[in-house]
Amino acid sequence: MAIAQAMCTAFKKELMLGTHNFATNGNAFKLALYAEGGGGKSSTTATLGATTTAYTTTGEIANSGSYTAGGGTLTKVAPNTSGTTAFTDFADISFTTATITAMGALIYNDTNSDKAVAVLDFTANKTSTSGTFTVQFPTADASNAIIRIA
Amino acid sequence: MFELGISTVGSVNVMTSDKGGLTNEQITDLAVDKIVSISDQAPAHIRQQANQFREHLKNVLYYYLLLARKEERGSIIQVLESSGHKEMAEYIRRI
Repeated sequence: MAIAQAMCTAFKKELMLGTHNFATNGNAFKLALYAEGGGGKSSTTATLGATTTAYTTTGEIANSGSYTAGGGTLTKVAPNTSGTTAFTDFADISFTTATITAMGALIYNDTNSDKAVAVLDFTANKTSTSGTFTVQFPTADASNAIIRIA
Repeated sequence: MFELGISTVGSVNVMTSDKGGLTNEQITDLAVDKIVSISDQAPAHIRQQANQFREHLKNVLYYYLLLARKEERGSIIQVLESSGHKEMAEYIRRI
């Protein structure tokens, strides 16, 4: 599969090196959208997964509406713990008046050399036509949050 | 070997629209999904109660979402009319 949901392996190492700061006044994180089957810019196809180390334009969707290269900046939810699980999350993000077909997304650290955080697989093509493309993040808790360490 | 911890990526939900913004129903669903999540492993009677609460919440949110959009349009129409843009105000009224 060209886009496989994963927490990037390099990100796990970088957590131990203190590369990523998810505090609300910490690093800036962005979400970029990707296409499969040659649907990206210049008919490129995304290959994203656990081995992804940084943001790439290969397979990224073309600019449309409020979506521009590199994607949108995410609003962070401060890291927290519940029981023995630590977690962090983001607010939902929307791209408006946009014609988009995307199969997945990459969350990356815009402050620190675009280092990859996680790959999101939508499992099917999601399409907006001159409309809104919203990515809803899960509830910020120990069972659902987008990034959890148990 | 034993594991000290497990790192996990959660699942996102994608909502899209054509020729315009998200509908009232879609926004209601986004809100309800954020507020209520029901475990597949929960006992049947708990799941049933949670689903009923979810439906009730959905109806309440939908009503107030409609009201909020209607009231905002009302405010916009008022501003347009009072500044002489009666034709534009009529377009907004027809949405």
